[in-house]
Amino acid sequence: MTNGWIDIKNADMMLVMGGNPAENHPCGFKWVIEAKKTRNAKLIVVDPRYTRTAATSDLFLQIRAGADIAFLGGVLRYAIENNRVAREYLANYTNASFIVKDGFKLPEDGLYSGFDAASQTYDRSSWNYEEGNDSGGAAPTHTAAKAASGPGAPPPLPPMPAKVAYDLTLQHPRCVFQLLRQQYSRYTPEMVERITGIPKEQFLKAADLYTSIRKDGDMKKVGTILYAVGWTQHTFGTQIIRTAAILQLLLGNVGRAGGGVNALRGHSNIQGATDMGGVFDIWPGYLKVPNPADTDLPAYLKRITPTASKPAPWESFNYWSNTPKFAISYLKAMFGDAAKKENDFAFHYMPKVDRDYSWAQIWDGMYRGSVKGLFAFGMNGVAIGPDSQKNIDALKKADFLVVGEIYPDETSEFWKSPGVTPEEMKTINTTVYRLPCAGFAEKDGSMTNSARWLQWKNVAIPPPGDARLDQDILAQIYLRIRELYQKEGGKFPDPILNLTWAYTSPQHPALGELTKELNGKALADLTDPKTQVTIKKGQQLPGFAWLKDDGTTSCGNWLYSGSWTEAGNQLIRRGTEDPSGQGIYQNWAWSWPANRRVLYNRASCDPSGKPYDPSRKQVWWNESAQAWVGNDVPDFKADSNPKDHMGPFIMNAEGVGRIFAPLAAFADGPLPEHYEPIESPVQNALHPKQSNNPVVKKFKTPADKYSTLGDGFNIVCTTYRLTEHYHYWTKNNPMNVQLIPEPFVEIPVELAAELGIKGNDKVKVTSARSYYVAKAFVTKRIRPMIIDGKKVYQIGIPIHQGYRGIQEDEGKDARTILNRLTPTVLDPNAHTPEFKGFMVKLEKA
Amino acid sequence: MSQATLAIRRISGHAGVAPGEGVERDYQVCKLVDTTTCIGCKACEVACLEWNGYEFSDTRFDNSYQTMPETTWKYWNLIKFNEHENSDGTISLLMRKDQCMHCADPGCLAACPADGAIVQYTNGIVDFQQQNCIGCGYCVSGCPFDIPKFNPATKKMFKCTLCVDRVSEGLEPACIKSCPTGCLHFGTKEDMKDLAETRATQLRDNFGFEKAGVYDPPGVGGTGVIYVLHDATNPEAYGGLPKDPHIPWVVRFWKGPAKWIGNLAMLGGIVGVTLHYLRFGPKQVDAEKHDDPTDEKGGRP
Amino acid sequence: MSTSQVISSRRSLGETGGRILRYTLSERVLHWLAAITYIYCLITGLAFWSPYFYWLATLVGGGPTARFWHPWFGLGFTLAVFWMYTIWRRDMQTTGADRRWSKAVKYYIENEDEKLPPIGRFNYGQKLFFWLMFYGVILLLISGVGLWYVESIPWSLRWLRYLAITVHVVAALATIGGFIIHVYMGTAMVRGGFTSIVRGEVTANWARTHHRLWYERVTKGAPADSESGRRL
Repeated sequence: MTNGWIDIKNADMMLVMGGNPAENHPCGFKWVIEAKKTRNAKLIVVDPRYTRTAATSDLFLQIRAGADIAFLGGVLRYAIENNRVAREYLANYTNASFIVKDGFKLPEDGLYSGFDAASQTYDRSSWNYEEGNDSGGAAPTHTAAKAASGPGAPPPLPPMPAKVAYDLTLQHPRCVFQLLRQQYSRYTPEMVERITGIPKEQFLKAADLYTSIRKDGDMKKVGTILYAVGWTQHTFGTQIIRTAAILQLLLGNVGRAGGGVNALRGHSNIQGATDMGGVFDIWPGYLKVPNPADTDLPAYLKRITPTASKPAPWESFNYWSNTPKFAISYLKAMFGDAAKKENDFAFHYMPKVDRDYSWAQIWDGMYRGSVKGLFAFGMNGVAIGPDSQKNIDALKKADFLVVGEIYPDETSEFWKSPGVTPEEMKTINTTVYRLPCAGFAEKDGSMTNSARWLQWKNVAIPPPGDARLDQDILAQIYLRIRELYQKEGGKFPDPILNLTWAYTSPQHPALGELTKELNGKALADLTDPKTQVTIKKGQQLPGFAWLKDDGTTSCGNWLYSGSWTEAGNQLIRRGTEDPSGQGIYQNWAWSWPANRRVLYNRASCDPSGKPYDPSRKQVWWNESAQAWVGNDVPDFKADSNPKDHMGPFIMNAEGVGRIFAPLAAFADGPLPEHYEPIESPVQNALHPKQSNNPVVKKFKTPADKYSTLGDGFNIVCTTYRLTEHYHYWTKNNPMNVQLIPEPFVEIPVELAAELGIKGNDKVKVTSARSYYVAKAFVTKRIRPMIIDGKKVYQIGIPIHQGYRGIQEDEGKDARTILNRLTPTVLDPNAHTPEFKGFMVKLEKA
Repeated sequence: MSQATLAIRRISGHAGVAPGEGVERDYQVCKLVDTTTCIGCKACEVACLEWNGYEFSDTRFDNSYQTMPETTWKYWNLIKFNEHENSDGTISLLMRKDQCMHCADPGCLAACPADGAIVQYTNGIVDFQQQNCIGCGYCVSGCPFDIPKFNPATKKMFKCTLCVDRVSEGLEPACIKSCPTGCLHFGTKEDMKDLAETRATQLRDNFGFEKAGVYDPPGVGGTGVIYVLHDATNPEAYGGLPKDPHIPWVVRFWKGPAKWIGNLAMLGGIVGVTLHYLRFGPKQVDAEKHDDPTDEKGGRP
Repeated sequence: MSTSQVISSRRSLGETGGRILRYTLSERVLHWLAAITYIYCLITGLAFWSPYFYWLATLVGGGPTARFWHPWFGLGFTLAVFWMYTIWRRDMQTTGADRRWSKAVKYYIENEDEKLPPIGRFNYGQKLFFWLMFYGVILLLISGVGLWYVESIPWSLRWLRYLAITVHVVAALATIGGFIIHVYMGTAMVRGGFTSIVRGEVTANWARTHHRLWYERVTKGAPADSESGRRL
C-alpha cells in the first residue's frame, strides 16, 4: 500500500478491482465503510462476480476475468477526453511532460518497439527519454551506437539521460502525456464493452463517477484504488497495477490521504516476506540480487544504483543513489567481520542469480528432476499450485520433502493424494519429514501488514506437544550444516562458516535479536557532520540515514532501520494518539520507511508546498523553519525548498511519478496494453494477431497443457477465497468448517439452466490439465456476458478445500484440489502464476 | 440465566404483578444492525458460539453462503443471505443478522405458561430462564420472528440472550464486539434510534436509497434489535423479516380474553351443577328400600 | 361386550331388590383408565392454561414433569376413548327412545323421572357425553401433536400452529364442561351411578327406573326398542 488501512477513511471515491476486501480483509474493510459513513464516499466494485464487497457498493460492474487493463485504459481515456485530470500535478509530479526518444513505438499491433520474436523478449533501449538541454528542450540527438546483441547475455541497456527533454505544455507529440493519450485513444467505451463485457452505459457511469473527483480541475477530493491478487495473478498482472498507478497519477491521487494505489495483502505477513527478500530476485529492502555479470562489488553497485535523470531545472533526490550504503550494510549484517573492504565486503559469498528461480520454476525443476528436495514451511505447496497435479507428481520424484506445519497438509500427504494406488505408493521413494511447528499465537515476533506497519506480537501460549518454533528448527539445521562444513570442509565453505550467528542462544535465536539485527547498528563511532550527533560503536542506529558504505554500519534491511533503536522496540508501541484525526497514529507500531504512514506525501501539496486540501493536511513546507513539517513524517528531503522543484517521488531517478516506465522497469512494455489471458474465450479485440502478452513463455513439460480457442473449453473460470476460510488452513478448524462445510462452484443461473444443473448438484469442472468436483452453487450473482459479440459464461471456485481436513477426512467432499485446474504460466515481471481467468468445461458429475 | 444486577419488568406465566413492574429506568438497551454495511463475514456467528460455549454444528452446503437454514437452539445468531433482484434488473446481496429481536411486547413471554421461564428486564432484554422452562414450546407460537428453539436433550427452550451476562456487567454483546465493519452498534434505544435514523437519512440523501429506513416494528412495541434497511418497504427481502410483526392474535386471544372466558365457563359449570343439586337434589331410586343406595351391603341377600 | 353377559349374572333376575351387572370388569377398568388419564391431562392442562392454576403442576411433579407427561397421558386417554368406541359405539347410537327422552329432558333435570319415557342402557345425555369426548379427543390429539412438535410445523405454515392452539383450547374447554356434568351426575346426582362404575352392579330398581328398556331386555329378553332389535 502506498497509504494504509486506516487512511482509506479519508477517501472520497473508492475503486475496488481485483480484490474482495469485504470478504478477505474484513477488518481493513471497516475503513471503506467509515469513508462511506463519514465522507459520503462512493464505492465502485468491478469484479467477475457480485461479491460481498459489491453488496456494499454504490456501483457494481461485472467484468470478464482478465480484462482489467481494458477497463482501466477506458477510464484513462475518459479522464483525458473529459479533461478530468490533475493538470498541475501531472506536469510537475509525473513524467507526463518528459519527451520520449524517437524510435519508440506504441503497440497498435500488440508489440512495442524492440521485440525479438525468436527470444520472445524486448530490446528495451528505445523505451527511453530524449536527452534534453539545460533549458528543457530537446538536445541534439546523440545516436548511441546500438549495442550488438551478443548471444546469451542481453545487451546492456543505455542509461537514462541525466537531463531529460520535456515540454510543460504537454503538447509535444512524443511527450509522455501525448503518448498516453494516443495509447488509450483505442480504448473507447465500445472497445471496453467488447473486451470486458461491461455494457457501454455502465462503463461510462463508472468512468464518470470515478473521475468526478477531478471535475473542473478541483484538487480537493481524493480517490483510492484497492486491489489484491485478482490483479496480480495474470500474465499481465504487473501491468494492470501499472495502469491503476497511471490513473492515480493522472488524477493526482498518489501521496494524498485517502488516495494511492493499495495492494491488500492476502496473508498477515506477506508484506514482511517481500520486504525481507522472500523472493528470488531481491535482497531484503528490495535491493536487486547480483547476477553472474556482476564481476565484483563495484560492478554490481554500479548496475543497481540509479543516477538522477530529470529536466535540467528540476531537482531529483534519487534516494536509491544510497544503494551502496544499503547493500554494504546488509553484507556487514550477513557476514560481520568477514565482510571487509579487501574482499568486497564478502560480496562473492552471495549467490549470483542467473535466471528465474520463482515459485513455478522450483516445481518445474523438481518435475524435470533437477530439484531434489524441498523445505516447505508455512505454506501448502501442493494446494497453492498452479497445476497441483504437476506439483504432486514433482514431489514423487524428489529425494526428500521437509514440511514444517501445524497440521498434516496436502503437501506432506502428497503420496496418498486421491488417485495414488497402493502399488504406486510403493514406488514413491521421497522421504517425507513432518516437523510439527508452532502456530502464530505460539511465537513472538512481528508481522508487517499491508499498510507497511511492523507490529510486534507476544506469545499467547507455548507450542503444544513436540511442536517447535520455526526459527529454532532452521537454526538447528544451520548449525549442523555449519558443523559438517567445519569438520569436512567443502567446495565453498566460507559463506556458511562466516555467516553472522551472534545470538545469545544460537540454537534458539530470539526474534527480538533478529529484529535488532535488521535495524542495524554502528560498527564504529559515527558522527553526523551537520548536527554533530554521535552514535557510539555498538549502538542501534536511529534510521537508515545513518547507513554507510564503508563498512562502519551493519543493517539487515535498510527499510526496517529505525524499528529497534536505542529507544527500544518500536514495533511494540501502542500509542493511540491521532492529533490530526487522519488516522496517522504515529505512535502505533512502526511503519517503514522511517515511520511514514503515507508514501510520497510531498505530492499532497501543490508545487509551492501548500496542501491541496487544507482539511486533510498531511505535510507542508514551513517557510520560517525552512523545512517540511507535518502530521505525517514528510517523505521528502526535509530542507528542500519548493522553489528548487524537487520531485516528490524520491525513489525514482526522475523524482517524478512514472506514467511512462522507461528501459528495464518492466519486461513487457513501458505503458500497459490489454492482452488476453493465456487461455481466453476470444481473440484480442485490439490486435487479434497478438492476443497474449508477447513475452510470456509457456512451460514445456508434458504436464503443462494449455487450451486454445475452439477446443471446447468455453467457460471462463476464476478462483477466489471466502471470508469463512483462510487459505488451506481453516478446513481443520470446526468453527470455520461449519460456516462453509463443503467446496462449491458458483454457476450463473442461466448456465445452470442450459446444462440442467440445480443447486447442490455435484458438478465436474475440467480444464486442459485436470478436473475438479464440487457442489453447484447456482447464483444470480454471476451473469452471462457478451464478449466481442459472443455469449460467454464465467464461473468461480473457492480455493479452500482439498484432500486433508475435517470434512475431507470423513470423505464428505470430493477431495479434489482446485489448483489442479490452473495453468502454469507467469507474469513476466513478478512471476506470479495466472490463477485468474482460465478456460474450463462444466458438466454434471 | 438469571441476572441479579438487572431489575425485572415482566415475568412469564406469573400470577399477579411482577416485582419491578412500573419501576422506571433511564434507558433501554438496543442493538443496531445496519444491513447496508454488513459484509456477511459471520464473525458475529462465531463470536456468539464462542461466548455462549457452543461448538461445531454439522452443517451442509445448501446453495448459499448461509451457514444453516434457520437459527437453532445452539446457534442463536445467523446471517441470512438473499440474492435479491432489484426492479432495475440489478442484483443485491442482502445480508441480515437474524437473532432474537427482544421485543418490547414479547410474544414468547405472553405465550409462556411457566412461571418465570421468560423474563423481561427493565433494560428491555427478554431472557429465557431455563431452570423455570418446562419446554412446552408455546413461545415458538408466540414469537412473530420464529426465534425460540427447543433443545431435545434438555427439553428446554433457548435463544439469544442479548448477552445479558455481558450487558449486566457493562460490556457489549459478543456479536457487537466481533463486528469488523461497525455494522453492529450497541447502546440505549434512544441513541440507537438516532444513529439509525441518521444513517437512513444519509442513505436517502447521498446514496440514492430512496426507501431506506429503520426497522423498529411498532406491532411488538418496538424491538431491542433495530435494523437499517436499504428498502424499509420490503423487509421480507431481508431473509424474511416480517413487514408488520405482532403477537399472533390467536396467542393474544388465548392468553387474554380466552382465559377469562374459559375460566368463567368452567366456574359456571361448577356453579351450575351445585345449584342444581341444591335445587333438585339427587335421584334416589332405591331410597325407599335403602337409606344409602351406594351401600352395597344393603342390597345383598 | 354383549348384554347377554349381563343376563348371566349370578343374581336371580326379576327379583325385587336383586342386582344387575351394569358394567363388566373390563368396562370399569377402561372407564377408570380414561378417568385417570383425563384427570391428569386436566390438572396439567389447567396448569399450562393459566398462571392461577400453575400451582397444579406442583401436584404432579412440577412444570417440566407435567409438560413431559401431559402428551403421553393424552395419548393414553385417546387410546382409552378409542377402545370405548370399539365396545360402546353400538350402545351409543341415538334411538327413537332417546329422541323421545330428550324432548322430556326437563323432567330428568327436575328429578321427575317417572314422567320420562323409557330408555335403553344409556340415556341421551350419556350418549352426548360419549360423543363429545370421542370427537373432543380426536381434536385434542391432532392439535396436541401440533403443539407437541410445534417446531416441525414450518414457518410458512405457521397458521397451523395457531390453529392447533385454538383447537386444543376449544376442545379442552368443551370436554371440561362435559366432564364437570359427568362427574356431578356420576357422583352426587344419580345415586347408584358411582357404585355401578366401581363395582359394576346396580339394583334392579335402579335399572328399572333409569334404563327401563335395558332392564326389560336383560331380564326378559323382550325386544322393546330398536336397541333390543340387535343381535344379542
